[in-house]
Amino acid sequence: MAKVISRAKYDKFFSIAGIALLILGVILYFSGIRKIFDLPIFLILIGACVAAKGLISSSKKTAGEVVFSGKTFGEFLTNNAILLAMLVLVVVICILQPRFMQVRVALDILTQSSTKLIMALGICFTLLIAGTDLSAGRMVGLAAVISASMMQTATYANRFFPDLPQVEVWIPILAAIAACMIFGALNGFLVAKYDMHPFIATLAVQVIIYGTCSLYFDMPPNNSQPIGGIRPDFSALGQMRLLSGIWKGFPGISILIPIALVICVIIWFVLNKTVFGKNVYAIGGNREAAVVAGINVFRNIMGIFILASCLYGVAGVLEAARTAGATNNYGNGYELDAIAACVVGGVSLNGGIGKVGGIVMGVLIFTIIQYGLQFINVSPMWQQVIKGVIIAVAVAIDLTKYRRK
Amino acid sequence: MERKFSCKFVCLVLLMIGIFANAAFSKDMKIGSCIYRFNDAFMLRFRTAMTIEALKNSDESVTEIEIADSQNDQVIQNKQVDDFIAEKVDALIINPVNRMESMAIIEKAKAANIPVVFINREPTREMLDSYDKAWYVGARAEESGIQSGQIMAEYFQANPDADKNHDGKIQFIMLKGENGHQDMILRSKYSVEAIHAMGFEPVELASAIANWDKLQAMNIMNGFVMSIGPENIEAVISNNDEMALGAVEALKLVDYNSGDPEQFIPIVGVDANAAALEALINGEIIGTVLNDADNQGIAAVKIAMAAASGKPVNKDTIGYDVMDGKYVWIPYRKVTRSERNY
Amino acid sequence: MRILGEYILEMKNITKTFPGVKALDNVQLNVRPGTVHALMGENGAGKSTLMKCLFGIYKPDAGEIILNGKPVVIRSARDAMDHGIAMIHQELHPIRFRSVMENVYLGRFPGKFGFVDHKAMYDKTKALFQDLELDVDPLALAGEQSAAILQMMEIARAVDMGAKIIIMDEPTSSLSDREVEHLFKIINRLRSQGVAMIYISHKMKEILQIADEVSIMRDGQYVGTWDAKNLTTEEIIRQMVGREMTNQFPERTGKPQDEVVLKVSHLSSPLKNSFQDVSFELHKGEILGIGGLVGAQRTEFVEALFGLRGIESGEIQKDSNRYRALSPRDAKSHGLALLTEERRATGIFGILPILENTVIANQHKYAHMGILNDSKRRVDADAACKELNVKTPSLETLIQDLSGGNQQKVLIARWLLTNSDILILDEPTRGIDVGAKYEIYNIMLGQIKQGKSIIMISSEMPELMGMSDRIMVMCEGRVTGFLNKGEYTQEKIMELATQFAAHKKPAA
Repeated sequence: MAKVISRAKYDKFFSIAGIALLILGVILYFSGIRKIFDLPIFLILIGACVAAKGLISSSKKTAGEVVFSGKTFGEFLTNNAILLAMLVLVVVICILQPRFMQVRVALDILTQSSTKLIMALGICFTLLIAGTDLSAGRMVGLAAVISASMMQTATYANRFFPDLPQVEVWIPILAAIAACMIFGALNGFLVAKYDMHPFIATLAVQVIIYGTCSLYFDMPPNNSQPIGGIRPDFSALGQMRLLSGIWKGFPGISILIPIALVICVIIWFVLNKTVFGKNVYAIGGNREAAVVAGINVFRNIMGIFILASCLYGVAGVLEAARTAGATNNYGNGYELDAIAACVVGGVSLNGGIGKVGGIVMGVLIFTIIQYGLQFINVSPMWQQVIKGVIIAVAVAIDLTKYRRK
Repeated sequence: MERKFSCKFVCLVLLMIGIFANAAFSKDMKIGSCIYRFNDAFMLRFRTAMTIEALKNSDESVTEIEIADSQNDQVIQNKQVDDFIAEKVDALIINPVNRMESMAIIEKAKAANIPVVFINREPTREMLDSYDKAWYVGARAEESGIQSGQIMAEYFQANPDADKNHDGKIQFIMLKGENGHQDMILRSKYSVEAIHAMGFEPVELASAIANWDKLQAMNIMNGFVMSIGPENIEAVISNNDEMALGAVEALKLVDYNSGDPEQFIPIVGVDANAAALEALINGEIIGTVLNDADNQGIAAVKIAMAAASGKPVNKDTIGYDVMDGKYVWIPYRKVTRSERNY
Repeated sequence: MRILGEYILEMKNITKTFPGVKALDNVQLNVRPGTVHALMGENGAGKSTLMKCLFGIYKPDAGEIILNGKPVVIRSARDAMDHGIAMIHQELHPIRFRSVMENVYLGRFPGKFGFVDHKAMYDKTKALFQDLELDVDPLALAGEQSAAILQMMEIARAVDMGAKIIIMDEPTSSLSDREVEHLFKIINRLRSQGVAMIYISHKMKEILQIADEVSIMRDGQYVGTWDAKNLTTEEIIRQMVGREMTNQFPERTGKPQDEVVLKVSHLSSPLKNSFQDVSFELHKGEILGIGGLVGAQRTEFVEALFGLRGIESGEIQKDSNRYRALSPRDAKSHGLALLTEERRATGIFGILPILENTVIANQHKYAHMGILNDSKRRVDADAACKELNVKTPSLETLIQDLSGGNQQKVLIARWLLTNSDILILDEPTRGIDVGAKYEIYNIMLGQIKQGKSIIMISSEMPELMGMSDRIMVMCEGRVTGFLNKGEYTQEKIMELATQFAAHKKPAA
């Protein structure tokens, strides 16, 4: 039953399949069938990626064999179950609603993933030390409200601070992020100093933040009115599109995508190339051993929560800019989505295990599924059910992977 | 802060005038009022309207109104009512914390023979019927839906080209509030019915729950723009302004509702909040509906004054229609660019 | 002469492969009822894997298990227990906040009308303990009991469940000699009742004293089974390592210098029952052994030196300067290193690669403004692991996949990289096979030669006597005496270690 082929042949297959897809895409592109929207472009992109993978690994000339059998197939299925489920779903959606195959849809999904990704990257630090951060969502709300409250146009009827001059854009942004970092420091202090479980410490801080944010939001003359009349130079931070119209119909890349990318790279660097990052993994792997090894656990835990809150702050500011407004309810429940995305992306809740690449995948999978279900008008109740099932299945698969040892 | 202070100051002055007037004419009047929670934007307008109305009438009979903050606690409110009764106020205006617990208040007022006007949160019919000096002033929630539907239908009457495919039907998207919320149910239902009643056939392309939230509405609308295509959407009906504004932001991303009349989807909201009025001026939405706190406040004070001075409560004495001798319904108000009545 | 009956357990041709490793290759094990069957081999020889196959934790790829002549398949620990197999693990994890009796009857509480019958549970536990000559209140909290008592508790549980085969994995690793004696008494009693025991240990003397038969494994393969009375220590070691091992300890050359590197005067813990009034001097190039029974507060003392525990009074001088560590970080910066007793709990980062485990205490040396120089880290880790002969496919291998001895070598490498001049080793060879032990001794001597000093806690007499230049003996938190090289014997050490033991309740 098992079939063995050489690695070289395997790579060759990839290269050929990729090129075939690419050519098919080009043909379809010039065929001008309108019903399939941007499918040809996607085919060309996928084909190029597959072919590149094949060509690169064959150029490395790695020896060895690839085994096809029931066992390896089964392993492949469990290792990639969520990804495969997502692919199946995407195909189904494309059939039901061909409009899904648009470049602008893909870009929109990336845009919506951006702020979620920034949050997930923040929360992953707290997960890496076997903790959690329930205050993340409320921090997004806090940052959104603070930044938006100082960024209203002079003519707007219901200004938060009627006499505030038109300040530089970076001032409210820094103020918002700084406010989040203060609460992040509080989180870290409770966890590091009193050895409180992060679950309960951040729960307490979550409630405090929401209360504080609501008090701020309720200050006269605003009295809990949604904040609007956002200055265009601020909302550009979340709404600007790059390269729009470089060819006909190209909607442009939302500025959020490069922002999220840059933050991804920074966080990858912090986790893998700095003492702090290594300490995070060490504390998550074995806190007692970290103490014995002379790591300053207090300072590192403080650092973790402050860095995480800084990222939530950034996410909050960007959400306020993107929607050109804010209420104290912004970000409500975001932390659970972010935690779920991290878990789907392979971050272990037991601490010490997690990679930036995995988190990116997790967030994308989550957004694509959510967006796709919305796209074909699946009822919100069913969306909830499906989301829950995905989380449960992802964690179950992850755990069996470790248990197989 | 300032406004509160000035209110109190005016009240204080009135009180002093009242004391003198009492000696001279003994025609003064005191109304006690409880508001479920002071920091509610809508109730803030309500309070202001009541205070101004009391002031306006102070030339013929000196009227003082004392407003208490029930801090969203029914127990506190009941205590406040006891205090008002002990002070021998002439009438009560009550915004119950829990409308189902209004009976205790009615019984207290009945025992002291003080008229009581309920506002904004409606006691049951049996409760009001148990006391001849109990009234209710409010707005019918379904009316907000009806009027937002009417705004949309009127827009289509005025702009035949808004019917992009010229099929005589309105293909719309509905953005809904929190699942199960009374306003969400009524507004969703009656807005569609109103469109139908004005001779258009409403066709729901899609609807989604965005929990009154701008952010969620924006993400959801983004999806609809992609899946349905903005050129196929003829209208967006939203249960509140925040979600309507979220839809605006989503449409702006595809260069809709950004100034080009060719690329415009009419959007209607409810609440008439500041951001929505701004959007209305900018032409990003076509209208919103105002829950008329001002007229409700005026009506409540007028009923209280009429009842306290022993006059019958009817259209002649208060200027508003009284239904079944118990209810004064203040209609919602449409806010559109043509009806600059906000 | 005992009559050896038919086999109660036969494991035939057991094979188990993990990705990349053949952990068990056609292994067999035959155990007779009413015997103690010692299972020996270096760490990584496959003893634990074999036992896990028997206990249903692993599923063997091939081979069969025959119980009382009938082939059985054991799918889980529960299954194993139903077949009368019980396992006393090396590290015990009782439910700390519940009573001893609840721990004994966990999962099978005696019931009455659906309620737990506490009275019956108490009486049964009491009777069981009496039978095993255990003087423990069944209502006492499990968390407050010593390792020895917890072990007895586990044995009591196994006996009560009617276990016919009891697996004991390093049962004496944390017991004092007196406690070992008691354990052996119990083992003898169980043997006379027909219970078969599979006894895993590295301690030759114990094996020769208690075992009836000895099976030896090497590199995942079965070497053979011998009658214990025909074996000698040398023969066992020869079979285990596959080579002659004439000397257990490497030759010590050179002498400690006169220079005092660490002077401890009257150091006391804030806890009254912990170490009190400890004074000594550590010389450059010296190995100071600390002997004593379990509970002598030796570990607590060195942890205080390293800044992990508080100090109430007393003074420490390091290189003639006042020194008081407030945290391990502090201690590290003063040139101290501590290899903790609990390797898994406070030593290794199991889910991290060897590379990270090696350099973790020394990160700042590879960092500029907090940013790491990866290649420098790699070069150092590689050199240190090579120097200490860590056997691993690559630096990326997770440390939890290494044998205990190799894990210990990585931990030593970690501290050598920090260039500490005082190494504190707490039970450095616990649970490590003979070959690795020898290597660790060599490393220690190598460090001494470089002018470093070592403080070593050991509960193994031969190791303590074989390696130390001087032995400080502690008993109940106090120093009871010093013995110089040449003047110590096992008897003298024991005498000092039990000086206060007259009024001390025996552990069992």
